[in-house]
Amino acid sequence: MKSKERVRAVIDHRETDRLPIDFGSSFITGIHCSVVEGLRRHFGLEPRPVRVCEPYQMLGEVEPDLLDALGLDVQPIFPQRTIFGFPNENWKPWTTPWGQHVVVSEHFHTYTSVEGDTYIHPKGDRSAPPSGHMPKTGYFFDTIERMDADFDEDDLKVADNLEEFGLMSDGEAAYWRSQAELYRDCDRAISVHLNGTCLGDIALVPAPFLTHPKGVRGVAQWYMTVASEPEFVMELFDRQTEIALENMARLHAIAGDVIDVVVVCGTDFGTQASLFCGVPSVREIWLPRYKRINDWIHRNTAWRTFKHSCGAIEPLIEAFIDSGFDILNPVQCSAAGMDPKELKAKYGDRITFWGGGVNTQETLPFGTPGQVRAEVLERCEIFAPGGGFVFNAIHNVQALTPIENVVAMIEAVDEFNGGR
Amino acid sequence: MNTPLEQLTSAIKAGKRKDAKSATQAALDAAIPPAQILAALGEGMADVGRRFKANEVFVPEVLVAARAMQNSMDLLEPVLIEAGIQPAHTFLICTVEGDLHDIGKNLVAMMIKGANFKVVDLGTNVAPDVLIEAVEAHRADIIGLSALLTTTMPAMREAVARIRERGLKVKIMVGGAPITEGFAHEIGADGYAPDAGSAVELALRLVEAA
Repeated sequence: MKSKERVRAVIDHRETDRLPIDFGSSFITGIHCSVVEGLRRHFGLEPRPVRVCEPYQMLGEVEPDLLDALGLDVQPIFPQRTIFGFPNENWKPWTTPWGQHVVVSEHFHTYTSVEGDTYIHPKGDRSAPPSGHMPKTGYFFDTIERMDADFDEDDLKVADNLEEFGLMSDGEAAYWRSQAELYRDCDRAISVHLNGTCLGDIALVPAPFLTHPKGVRGVAQWYMTVASEPEFVMELFDRQTEIALENMARLHAIAGDVIDVVVVCGTDFGTQASLFCGVPSVREIWLPRYKRINDWIHRNTAWRTFKHSCGAIEPLIEAFIDSGFDILNPVQCSAAGMDPKELKAKYGDRITFWGGGVNTQETLPFGTPGQVRAEVLERCEIFAPGGGFVFNAIHNVQALTPIENVVAMIEAVDEFNGGR
Repeated sequence: MNTPLEQLTSAIKAGKRKDAKSATQAALDAAIPPAQILAALGEGMADVGRRFKANEVFVPEVLVAARAMQNSMDLLEPVLIEAGIQPAHTFLICTVEGDLHDIGKNLVAMMIKGANFKVVDLGTNVAPDVLIEAVEAHRADIIGLSALLTTTMPAMREAVARIRERGLKVKIMVGGAPITEGFAHEIGADGYAPDAGSAVELALRLVEAA
């Protein structure tokens, strides 16, 4: 069975010859660049600087040789532009604050403050205020909130928060055509992030890809707007969805037959212990727009749709299923109410769990290889029966995770699969 | 017809900033003692905290309530200062060095302020030296340390160790997504709170026990 068939089969809730595994196919199932380097060394792969494919979380590209070494089943086609608004092209060397030699896009322009912190410019435009900040002891960027001086919370304008959403450009269409050609005969399942379908993702609200964002761009401001101006938020989401539907049609015309999985939305609805928004708010504000997107995809394509939300989101899973999502990630079993056995029993035949394989807050970074193996085997036993499970850790593998633990995780999945 | 204080409490509970402001002004105009106005504010925030802990309201509702409280405090604070009324305890809060994630920290700060603590918010990415200096300068009774990332948990351990080494008589409470009761105990913190509502209860317990 080819990887592509295997992934599609489990999403359609059929058991396969072995459990499919993903690392690196999206910006929420990836591996920090420092860990990618460690894995390349562990497997004796050609020593070369890791490409930072996602500069915000500093994720490293899992290149084909590492995909092979780890036995992974999913190949990404990344968006043309990064979260900082520049294309990943013409790689150049860069030394990270922790001393790793990586390669980054030629448009990756940073400066270091006197305190030793790193700041990055949007669109590679050095004349624009920085939109990302990495503390000197950090391993990732965080977005900088740049509030427009003329912003008036009593006079919200939808157009201000729509600036980043537009129709696919000719350049982007050409990019997708070239990528489709490159991966048309790929044996692995192909996963892509859809453009403009993330509704209210708090990582994107500050618009780190825009040089001078207007509108509601603060994290707290955004949450307050959801509570106090739901009509504004719904109108914004409607307009955003209209644009996204047109872009999906264009993408489908170019690369529809190549793509298997589309990451629709990464908006986090859960905290460690609870929800960010109540179930009625999610059903009113998000669900109808998600449903339009999912319904269009299921009517017009063979794509399977992927929803990411961290946290204690068990009360929302029914709403995600009603929205038409096929896949849920990262299945944060460590959060309140997210017991893997209960999730599998209650929802396992109606949605695919893509994640949940091991706890990246505790076991993977701080446990022993033996503890990692035990947790991975247990999760596979729970989630794999009847299909509906793609093995992935709970969110990205973080910096400082011991390589022997990552290897123990992969070996445990192999053990579950009966060896390869 | 509700009294201005009842109107103020319900404006806070509903997160209506303009109503909170006008009710505060009405209360001040009616010469209601500022301590009573403050108590009405606190009652509203305590209710929001209780409902947050019970999963009846969520982050957006807490934020709008806190914004309404701030609108009210903008009017009330000068009057409180004039009357010589000040919070009995000082609570210092920040995210630890290397961590820029402050949603949780901000929620805790707002709720603690609503419980009538003087809150000194040092912001994000705060090095132990800066923290120690601030504890001494503000004579803080409690410190709240927050970390979202597994990679900044060591910085939380370091901050607690440095404060203890210095021999400062300050209570330390910790929180954040990857933090657990066990970790808090292991690094020598005085307490752990899983959410902002619990953080208020913990802070009150810690100052009572002091």
